[in-house]
Formats: sequence, structure tokens, C-alpha cells
Amino acid sequence: MAASASAKTKRFKNDNVVYNSVAIRNNAAVIDYCRTSLSALSGCTAGILGLTGLNGFIFYFVTALCLSVVLLMKGGNDWSRYFMSRTSLASNGLLGGLFTYVLFWTFLYGMVHVY
Amino acid sequence: MAELLLDPDIRLWVVLPIVIITFLIGIVRHHATILFSSAKKVELQQVTDSQAMIRSRLLRENGKYLPKESFLMRKNFFNNEETGFFKTQKRAAPAQNPMTDPTMMTDMLKGNLTNVLPMIVIGGWINWTFSGFVTTKVPFPLTLRFKPMLQRGVELASLDASWVSSASWYFLNIFGLRSMYTLILGQDNQADQTKQMQDQMSGAAMAMPQDPKAAFKAEWEALEITDHQWALRNVEDQLIASSQINPEPVFTKNKFE
Repeated sequence: MAASASAKTKRFKNDNVVYNSVAIRNNAAVIDYCRTSLSALSGCTAGILGLTGLNGFIFYFVTALCLSVVLLMKGGNDWSRYFMSRTSLASNGLLGGLFTYVLFWTFLYGMVHVY
Repeated sequence: MAELLLDPDIRLWVVLPIVIITFLIGIVRHHATILFSSAKKVELQQVTDSQAMIRSRLLRENGKYLPKESFLMRKNFFNNEETGFFKTQKRAAPAQNPMTDPTMMTDMLKGNLTNVLPMIVIGGWINWTFSGFVTTKVPFPLTLRFKPMLQRGVELASLDASWVSSASWYFLNIFGLRSMYTLILGQDNQADQTKQMQDQMSGAAMAMPQDPKAAFKAEWEALEITDHQWALRNVEDQLIASSQINPEPVFTKNKFE
């Protein structure tokens, strides 16, 4: 979970890339952990700040975009050793995280601002 | 939008307990399922069968890298008319009805015990204990269509759609905490009720062990039509062509010195 494993093992002469499915799944899980953690944290932040309506959703997408940028920076020039495509690295789990975000946003907003 | 004034006690004694209870029940379920689940007994014959299938598949896919004799030898081991593995091994068809298999029955019973029963009991208990509270408000406007979803148990026609009743808050938690379980308990945890519901709907929980006889026959057919296509015919030429060294000076270097 800590370190992402190299998904690609061998490169043959005619560019037949061999993927390691266990490593791919592990890497996807690591990205998923990042996304979920960030969604929960940003949800808490938005709830405590008391964002409502469109502002909250914009806030989520801004934070998610920041995470994507950070992930791409972390991937660096070597990203193709660990992931099959750059867009999936940047956009995977974007909408799945939204659900977590909304839950935490609602929860903290309710705790702090409704009563 | 009319603002409501809610009693702060509702926050302390309804909203927070529902979140905590839902969350902790998920964790308890995870550990209870691990505790109750009996390790699936593996029959020696099943392992033999599946390994033979894997070997045959590998032979079909990668046989081109073997010399022809080796390929034919392996193929013969599986497919010989008199002595081949797929020909001689006779497997009985598995029992048609899972109800007749007592181990299957206990497995199903255990599954129900850890999945369905707590769901009914806890859901009913939450509904009974925390019934009829307007608990919280989603921080974004919603259309009237969401009213029956978010305001179960509180039927007020004039209430704005973004207020959430206690029963709906419980369901929101069940579905929303899913990814949190992934975060805390790992990728394939047992805490997720929704996944188990899907399993039961699709009948995947009762999936039958596949019939080895039919699988053998299919594999036998597939292997029978596989020919040996020697993939390494020109491998020396390719190797020499791919290397940058010109062979000429290497061999002639010391000849005249």
C-alpha cells in the first residue's frame, strides 16, 4: 500500500508491453486511498466552512484537481511505468469520491451550522 | 425557504449516534464475517482438475515456443485417444441442487445470519428508536423529487426538500460510508451491505461449482485443434540483426596478427 509497484515488467523488441495485473490493481488501490482520504478531508473542510450550494461542489472539484496535479507531479516522467494511461491517473475515482465528499460535507455542515 | 430551528439535543442524541452506530456496525460485521466464515474446503481432485486445465491452456497459448516434439508430447499427454488425461479422467457431474448439499446449506445459513439478520434488526431498531426526527439539512438545494428519498418517516408537504429525516440519514450513511470502509479495512472488506445485496440479487452468492466434465471436453476440443506453429524459426537471424555488433571484425580481428 505504501509504495506503488511497477506495473510493467518487460518490454519486448516489438513493443509488446507485459503488464502485471496484481501491480496494476495495487496501484489503482493506492490512488483510491488518496482520493477517498482527500474527499473525506475536503468534505469536512467544506462543512466546517459552511459552504452551500454550488460553492461546495466547486470546492470539491478544485481540491480534486489539486490532487490530480500532485499525483501527476508524483508520477513525473516515469508515470508510464506504473499506470496505463495518464488521464486515468488524473481522473479515476473523481465521481466516486464525490459521494464521500457529500456525506462528510452534509454531516459537518449539519453539526456546525444547522442547529 | 423557511428556516427551521432544531433542538441542539437532536444533534447530540440523533445525528451523531446514527453515524457512529452505522460505522461501528460495519466494522463489527467485517470481523464477524471473518470469524464465522469457514475456510472453503478444497478437494484434492478439484485442484488436480483446475491445474490440468491451466496447464492445457498454457500449452495452447505458449506452445509455439516449445520444440515440436515437446509440444506433441504434452499434447499427447492430454489428448491421446486411449491414455490422454482428458479422455481417461471421468468426473461425476456435480449435484444439481445446492439444497441437497449440507455444507452448502450451512454456508448459506451463515451468510444469512451475518448479512440479512443484522440488517433487518439494526435497520428496524434505528427506525424505531430514532423515528420521526428532522435531523439535518443537505447544504445544497434539491428538487421536490428528492423528498420521498430524503424525508422518509416525516411526511410534511411544506418542508423544503433539503431537510433530511433520521431514517434517510441512516440510509445515506450506509451508502456513503462504503469508501470509508475501503480506507480503513482494506480493499475487500466484508462490511459492505450494499455489495452483499447486489450479490444476492444477481444470484452470484449461490454460484455453482462448474462441471468439470464439460470443462474437460471443451478444453480437449480446444487443444485438439491447436497446431504447432514454431515461433522461434528465425530466431538466430533476428538476434543477429538486432545486435549492433558487426560479426565480421569480431571473428577476423586476431587472424592476421
